[in-house]
Amino acid sequence: MIEVMRAGLCDLVMDTGRPGWRRLGVPAGGAADPAALQVANQLVGNPPDAAGLEIVGRGPHLHFPRGGVIALTGAPFRAARAAGLTAGWNQTLVLAASEILRIETPDAGYRCWLAVRGGLAVPPVLGSASTLPQAGWGGHRGRPLRAGDTLHVGRPEGGVRLMRAQAPVDRGDDAPVRVVSGPQSAAFDDAGLAAFFGGRFRVAAESDRRGLRLAGPCVTGSAADWPTQGVLPGAIQVPPDGQPIVLGWDGPATGGYPVIATVISADWPRLAQARPGDRLRFQTVTVDQARMLVAGDTWTVSEWA
Amino acid sequence: MANPKPGQPYADPAWRWMGDRAVRVVTGTTTLARYAMLDSGNFEEIEDIIPADGSILLIFRPGTVPSAGLREALVRPVQDTVMAESREHVMRVIFGGESGPDLAERAAGAGLDETGYVRRLTATVYTVAFLGFQPGFPYLAGLPDVLAAPRRSTPRHRVAAGSVAVGGGYLGIYPAAGPGGWHVLGRTAARLFDPAAPAPALLRPGDRVRFVAESR
Repeated sequence: MIEVMRAGLCDLVMDTGRPGWRRLGVPAGGAADPAALQVANQLVGNPPDAAGLEIVGRGPHLHFPRGGVIALTGAPFRAARAAGLTAGWNQTLVLAASEILRIETPDAGYRCWLAVRGGLAVPPVLGSASTLPQAGWGGHRGRPLRAGDTLHVGRPEGGVRLMRAQAPVDRGDDAPVRVVSGPQSAAFDDAGLAAFFGGRFRVAAESDRRGLRLAGPCVTGSAADWPTQGVLPGAIQVPPDGQPIVLGWDGPATGGYPVIATVISADWPRLAQARPGDRLRFQTVTVDQARMLVAGDTWTVSEWA
Repeated sequence: MANPKPGQPYADPAWRWMGDRAVRVVTGTTTLARYAMLDSGNFEEIEDIIPADGSILLIFRPGTVPSAGLREALVRPVQDTVMAESREHVMRVIFGGESGPDLAERAAGAGLDETGYVRRLTATVYTVAFLGFQPGFPYLAGLPDVLAAPRRSTPRHRVAAGSVAVGGGYLGIYPAAGPGGWHVLGRTAARLFDPAAPAPALLRPGDRVRFVAESR
């Protein structure tokens, strides 16, 4: 059992999502960096798809009346435990009974994931524990956590081992986000393509899990009506105002604006760490290169020595 | 022949990659038939299939590539016929008034009175072309041209659940309350999406829908 003493900016129960329902207009959702959540689960001895917490911007204060085994992955937030103990990232942490974990703000990045041994116990919706906040279902009561909430934890399987994990190499905040061009790059004129592929864009404040709104040079092109098409996270739509939107994990399954380029899956975790005010630029790669890059970006997990 | 091998230049305009996980296939008027064929093919590498307006997006499971069987299925001819499993639904709708705040304006735009507009709308059998925007939101094809209307220049902050609305050449029904940019003509009490149900969406691609006007 976990008691929420103070809620964070937007703490959402997440697992690896519910792919397979997009044809009914339901986004796949799930952790913005599923590998980070899966590793956190591995560190506490859970199956990889167990439900944990996705924490963004500013974290919650959580009380563990009976203690627990947890792990934190993703952006390192400032965090505190009982006196003299560090809330280290990417490692198994054993909390004593009545311990309070206080997660504050990140020094770099934007999102982290908390796994709890046994997994968070919430009723699955369409086969997944993930919250879909705009629909009001999934996760804990279909919404972000609030102070006073009690989260239930499932029954653990197997024994505890103390482990630590090594994240894939961070390419740095200034590295370009890699995209595959198109499918509708032909809808834009030369000036529009130059603005997009040569420009820098600021992540706007009104961004959320549905999409990152970008502000920057105007991406000009055809203003004609575009037929609605299926889309996926990472697709970069350009509405008539020329300010691109990178579709997020809870974004719509279909969209009516032309897609100038699509962020490769190896860089979706990077999008998870983009915070309002950050600056992004884009670099084109081929589908072949994108597939090699995703295969090379892996976590390693080892026993605590 | 289209060959969705990674890295292959776009040899055939009929399909293009959207990132490294999805392929957009141009299907034109055969979208629903192609969707039914691909869905029944049980291709292991496909995580999701999204039919839409003249195209289908295939999303692949991480680490997989399109199989030879799928590549063959993408170019195999299909008949543009009604899907075998399509069902017909009758939706009871209260048109106009508080339930349909945009009916009067749309009727005037079409050169009709409200009764005439509703009569034209209810005389047609619509086909669920695809779903999107919200869980369970159907895009209904078959709208008579005279009833079509571009989206509102300013979206509403809140459209009620069950609202029947026109946007471009489609009719849509809002399963849940939320912001919306379509013209709201009326409201149905039918529940379009229930995530706890075994079949969560009332309407599926290919289903046919008729509307019946109920008195206010």
